[in-house]
Amino acid sequence: MTKRYVLVHDENKCIGCQACNVACRSENNVPESVTRIQVRVEGPYGNFPNLHFKYNRVSCEQCEDAPCVKVCPTGAAYVNDDGIVSINEKKCVGCLYCVAACPYKVRFINPETRVPDKCDFCKESRLARGEDPACVSVCPTQALAFGDANDSTSEVSQLLDTKNHYQHKVNLGTKPRVYRIPSRKGGIKV
Amino acid sequence: MNNIWGSMEQYDPVVWNWIIAVYLFMAGLSAGSMMVAIGLKWYRQSRGLPTEGLPVIKAAAIVGPISICVGMALLMLDLTKPFEFYHILLNYNFTSVMAWGVLALLFYIPLVFVFSGLIFEKQLLSLAPWLSGVAKICRKLENSLNKLIFVLAIGVGIYTGFLLSALISYPILNTAVLPALFLASALSVGSAGNVLVATLFFSKKESDCIEQVHRIEYPVAFNEALCLVLLFVGLNFSGPAAQAATAAITTGTWASVFWIGVVGLGLVVPVLASTISPKSWRHTKGFLITVSCSTILGVLALRHFVVYAGQSYIS
Ligand code: SF4
Ligand code: SF4
Repeated sequence: MTKRYVLVHDENKCIGCQACNVACRSENNVPESVTRIQVRVEGPYGNFPNLHFKYNRVSCEQCEDAPCVKVCPTGAAYVNDDGIVSINEKKCVGCLYCVAACPYKVRFINPETRVPDKCDFCKESRLARGEDPACVSVCPTQALAFGDANDSTSEVSQLLDTKNHYQHKVNLGTKPRVYRIPSRKGGIKV
Repeated sequence: MNNIWGSMEQYDPVVWNWIIAVYLFMAGLSAGSMMVAIGLKWYRQSRGLPTEGLPVIKAAAIVGPISICVGMALLMLDLTKPFEFYHILLNYNFTSVMAWGVLALLFYIPLVFVFSGLIFEKQLLSLAPWLSGVAKICRKLENSLNKLIFVLAIGVGIYTGFLLSALISYPILNTAVLPALFLASALSVGSAGNVLVATLFFSKKESDCIEQVHRIEYPVAFNEALCLVLLFVGLNFSGPAAQAATAAITTGTWASVFWIGVVGLGLVVPVLASTISPKSWRHTKGFLITVSCSTILGVLALRHFVVYAGQSYIS
């Protein structure tokens, strides 16, 4: 695996507008009742007048040690050479083991295919054409950065080298590949 | 009010529901009843006592296959793609506990039927005389088959626990005590199921052979209680999220299910019944039926408690 795709979400720049959520829905034909990304607006935190909100991106973290892949009995949840956690619809029986096992609760059953669905960094469409994922392209404040963390000249490497950042639930050992730059105001509350 | 980010429905932490709880119960019942019956057989053989026609063993030959088949049917119906379940029989990912479970069941289920076939050989052969050749071969292999079934039954009982304990983000589930707890409760529900069916259908005398099954009740109940204590004491030492999960036994509906169902019906009633009840009651049909039903309900409550309360607390 030569590439190591990661996503960086800058919670200072994010305004919680859901443009990413909508772009993802149209790019990936996500049915109306379900969703692959949400940016939850949490808070307010702090004391008046220093109030602020936290923008919490919820989407597949593309774990390097993905519990969803480990538990899948048929190998329908798998990782390719590209390192992106994917789903083979043909092999899946719909046992929901992966849905239960995902610590980030981002897998859901697609009501049309009856198979688990989730973010795959738009790997078959935009990534295959060399473009950024839809959410990254559409973000009006450039709060999202996507790229190869193994390439030290990439934007994501530079961000991760120079900015304070954190990941969700690292204690579970899943090694998530979504990195977050915490809001300057207030501490980290995960 | 709607969230601007959309519906939260798909984020419900409870993914597996009562169907899985009942499946886990059925699998435990089947595995437990096999272990108890085969164990009893060995115990009597080692003492030179006859094992033919024992009501409890006959009961196991009914309980074992029926409960595992009902369980499997439920499990299949719960798949989002029930008609494609065969993929699970063709592809094995050996990092998955479920794959190991499927493999164990693949051998366990037919062997349980062989076990029953041998117990009811006469009846079977009168219905299907063409099976006599197969029956002869199986009879020759009976001892080895029983050993194999016993091992597979332990496997089935334990795997149902590991199935849940592999879910790393749920503190109540993600513990090594769970498989032990499930195995112990499988033994208790297995013996209760056998006693119930034996009392209802096979025993001629009121005290027919229930004595030996009683003998395993105390150690099993003790182990079960110990596992429960370990589970919740352990949570207390495993960080804030796990500690928060101990609320499962102090607040909410699942706390009542725990204290009334799991502890009350599953542990207290059976133990009290066999310690303080008058001797004259102990082998009456009504008594045996009540106590075994209580144990069965207790284990059913345990599976529901673990499945629901387990998934409700996420770290
Ligand atoms: S976030 Fe969930 S779905 Fe995504 S790779 Fe990790 S465990 Fe799998
Ligand atoms: S639901 Fe499908 S992808 Fe998920 S664990 Fe089951 S078989 Fe694998």
